[in-house]
Amino acid sequence: MKERNLSFGGILLLAIVLIYAGVLLLAPVLALVSNTFQNGFEPFWNAITDGEALGTLWLSIRLAVLASTFNAILGVMVAWVLVRHTFWGKGFLNALVDLPLVISPVIVGYVMIVLFGRLGWLKDFPIKLAFSWEGMLVLTVFVSLPFVIREIQPVLSGMGKEQEEAAFTLGATPWGTFWRVVFPAIRHALTYGIVLTLARSLGEFGAVAVIGGGTQGSTESATIYIYRSLNDRNYAGAYSMALLLGIISVVILIIMNNLRIHKRGG
Amino acid sequence: MSIYLHNITKKYGATAVVDDVSLEIEQGELFVLLGPSGSGKSTILRMIAGLAPLDGGQISLNGRDVTHLPPQKRHTGFVFQNYSLFQHMTVAQNIGFGLEIQKVPRAQRKERVEELLTLIEMQEYGNRLPAQLSGGQQQRVAVARALAQKPDVLLLDEPFGALDVKIRGQLRQNLREIQQRLNVTAILVTHDQEEAFELADKIGIIDKGRLLEIGTPDQLYRHPAHRFTATFLGNANLFNAQRNGSTIYIGEKRLPAPPNTEFLAGKPVQMMFRPEEVVIASASHPLDGNVFGEGIIESIAFAGALERIAIKLDPSGELIQALISPEISRQLGLRPGDAVKIGVKNFHLLPLE
Repeated sequence: MKERNLSFGGILLLAIVLIYAGVLLLAPVLALVSNTFQNGFEPFWNAITDGEALGTLWLSIRLAVLASTFNAILGVMVAWVLVRHTFWGKGFLNALVDLPLVISPVIVGYVMIVLFGRLGWLKDFPIKLAFSWEGMLVLTVFVSLPFVIREIQPVLSGMGKEQEEAAFTLGATPWGTFWRVVFPAIRHALTYGIVLTLARSLGEFGAVAVIGGGTQGSTESATIYIYRSLNDRNYAGAYSMALLLGIISVVILIIMNNLRIHKRGG
Repeated sequence: MSIYLHNITKKYGATAVVDDVSLEIEQGELFVLLGPSGSGKSTILRMIAGLAPLDGGQISLNGRDVTHLPPQKRHTGFVFQNYSLFQHMTVAQNIGFGLEIQKVPRAQRKERVEELLTLIEMQEYGNRLPAQLSGGQQQRVAVARALAQKPDVLLLDEPFGALDVKIRGQLRQNLREIQQRLNVTAILVTHDQEEAFELADKIGIIDKGRLLEIGTPDQLYRHPAHRFTATFLGNANLFNAQRNGSTIYIGEKRLPAPPNTEFLAGKPVQMMFRPEEVVIASASHPLDGNVFGEGIIESIAFAGALERIAIKLDPSGELIQALISPEISRQLGLRPGDAVKIGVKNFHLLPLE
């Protein structure tokens, strides 16, 4: 039999946790939903089928998918190098991976403008990065960089290099060993990292707003659209897009939870 | 000659972890590399498998110079201490991995895997995942995987180190049987002298990257050429001595020299005898064999079938270790503090390094 009688302290702790979760998580979601549908379903439908709104969502999704693809491939490579190789400056590089988490995205966006803008030091860079979607992509990649690396690193170092060496003595090439032995072992961690990367990329606002400039119809992402709609008192538009992004996030969260169970199950 | 190592050397920075090691191993032999941790024995194994590059020397397997070949082309089977099975593959897939890489047809592959599962007595486990097996079972699968492609040599790096004592004994026997039935040449690395004695046709003693000596377990135990071997393989009583004529001088004491030690004549030597060669008698009684000296019993400890007795030699105060059967100990009524006579049944001489 499980102990069911909670002590006073236990009840208090539970109450605090529930209130905390309620105020911080549930209340905003409820407020968002109720505001979105305060005039019925039609304004919501009109808002999210609006061409301009859809365009911004499409840009956000494109940025998130591209950034996730890039970070997935590069993340595996960086994690591999950080775990399997020893070289001068490795500790520094390892610390650098967390930089996007501690630097404000707005600052990074501003630095990019300073570097690549019309009067910037690197103004002759062959790809136009300031006020372009390419620049938004570069910054989305930057802000979501650590996730895949930090998911894969512990798995790689935990499995050690003996499995790879065993594969070598059994005749497998390094490339074959990666696909047959290493990849299956890091697959769940990689997927989890990609999902985190997607979520982070979709929600990014500061960095992409600064570097892209939020030009309507070209460099306006879904989050920037929400911001502009609020300023323009287009509340239906703002709430609807926010709810849509919220739903996408919840779906990602559910996928993530399932993956976490997988990960635990081996 | 199945395995031939010629002056192989491996350096990390300025220190040689494997220092000019040469070794020849016959077809079908189980050779044990025995040494303390950090002595370089695992590195030798990794060099043979091609997992650690050489800084000098040459390696041949079955007459094939493999010194500069990658691990994929050396035809070795390697068994790691932590099993290192592919976690996402079943037992059968693990064993068949190498065959699949070599593109052996499916039917043939299946047959070979069945054969190996039978060999390790795990026919019903083909579809299990490694995580569902005990450590001992995993290690058996690892052995089967290493043997699947009929390697020129089976290399085992402390294969039983992570298992508990009881399973270790069983697995040793299994391994010995399998190795003899297939007549495969094998090198096993261990720091456990009991394991070495139980398994080895021959043992090579490694210390600080150097191969000190090679011999059968019996030779190395009774007639070691190095002090390190004498002390690493069980307990040894060692005394500085001098061999003159046919007499050994140990301080004031004299004993007749053992046969075949003429080459040590006139040189400072060490006299060595194992605790089980020590005989004890009460101070007032006669002693058979060579009388070595007198002393006071310091301690008596239970050691399974025998009693381990430490005696403080008079007057030098040096400690002698003895193993005595409990009956004799009872007959003599031995107690700590008793004065006893100490004799030595057999002893051995080795050069002083």
